Amino acid sequence: MKIHVYQIIIICVSAVMLFQGSKEFFKRETGQTFLKFAVRVIVWGGMGLIAIYPNSTIYFAKLIGIEDNINAVILSGFLLVFLLIFKLLSAIEKIEQNISELTRREALSHLDEALPGDPDGHGKGK
Amino acid sequence: MIGDVIREIRAAGKYTIIVVDDGSRDATYFEALAERVVAIRHKINRGKGAATKTGIIAAKKFGAEIVVTMDGDGQHDPTDIEALVAPIQSGQCDVVLGCRPKVRGEMPFIKIIANKIGNIVTWLFYGIHVSDSQSGFRAYSRFAATIIDTKADKYEYDSKVIREINNNRLSFVEVPIKVRYTEYSMGKPQKQGFINGIKTLIRIVWGLVV
Repeated sequence: MKIHVYQIIIICVSAVMLFQGSKEFFKRETGQTFLKFAVRVIVWGGMGLIAIYPNSTIYFAKLIGIEDNINAVILSGFLLVFLLIFKLLSAIEKIEQNISELTRREALSHLDEALPGDPDGHGKGK
Repeated sequence: MIGDVIREIRAAGKYTIIVVDDGSRDATYFEALAERVVAIRHKINRGKGAATKTGIIAAKKFGAEIVVTMDGDGQHDPTDIEALVAPIQSGQCDVVLGCRPKVRGEMPFIKIIANKIGNIVTWLFYGIHVSDSQSGFRAYSRFAATIIDTKADKYEYDSKVIREINNNRLSFVEVPIKVRYTEYSMGKPQKQGFINGIKTLIRIVWGLVV
């Protein structure tokens, strides 16, 4: 079996990423969930497997109903990238909300100072 | 600028005024303090929705029975406050939405179009058709101010409030309000312009899938 340079590179990168992911998950580092670990195993494990067995893409293409194996890989890649972007944007959204909440709490913690004497009497709001 | 708005509100009636400075780099906060109103300052800019929510929470802490929100750029006329709070005081509804006149001459044409698009989007996504889904001049009963809960930070806040009205089956009425487009309100970089409108639309759609 002839091995190309790209296969060695992909196998090395996949191995490192899988090792990192496993280490973080099994050490229970902050933010490491099973879902995250599973995604890493599927993405990097899948890339590693394809690098070792390039012909496996033919079976994969047939499995999902696309005749041309390279199209199947590209399509799957797009789907994965979309999923990753979705996850990233969701995380950013959550962080944005947390920042707003922190900013609000900090601002409201000075509410007593914000009242220099009696403002305008307490009746209707704002 | 904010000083003028505060003085106008004082002239319109006796209200507890809360100013939320949303991380601005000008003298808004100190101007509000100088006017001896409740001044709250976000250390960083978080958007119109975040600032409005902070103001509403502060008003509830002061025991407000009715909370009125209005923009700080002087476009809203405080003499309308009385008309906004009247339906809540009479127990007619939980929320009063101020509706700006959408006729050429009183509102810039581009704003009329943007407003209509905003109303359609709000209706499509949140199920209620209102005359002015983007108006920030609104009044809430204490119950409504407590039950309405949205994490929207930017301009989509106004539309999300409509969603909350629908979801919580709150009663509402729409009241016509006057609006003044000052040089300041039309020129500020954070206004709900075309690009910000597109961003708001994206955030509304995104909010449905996240």
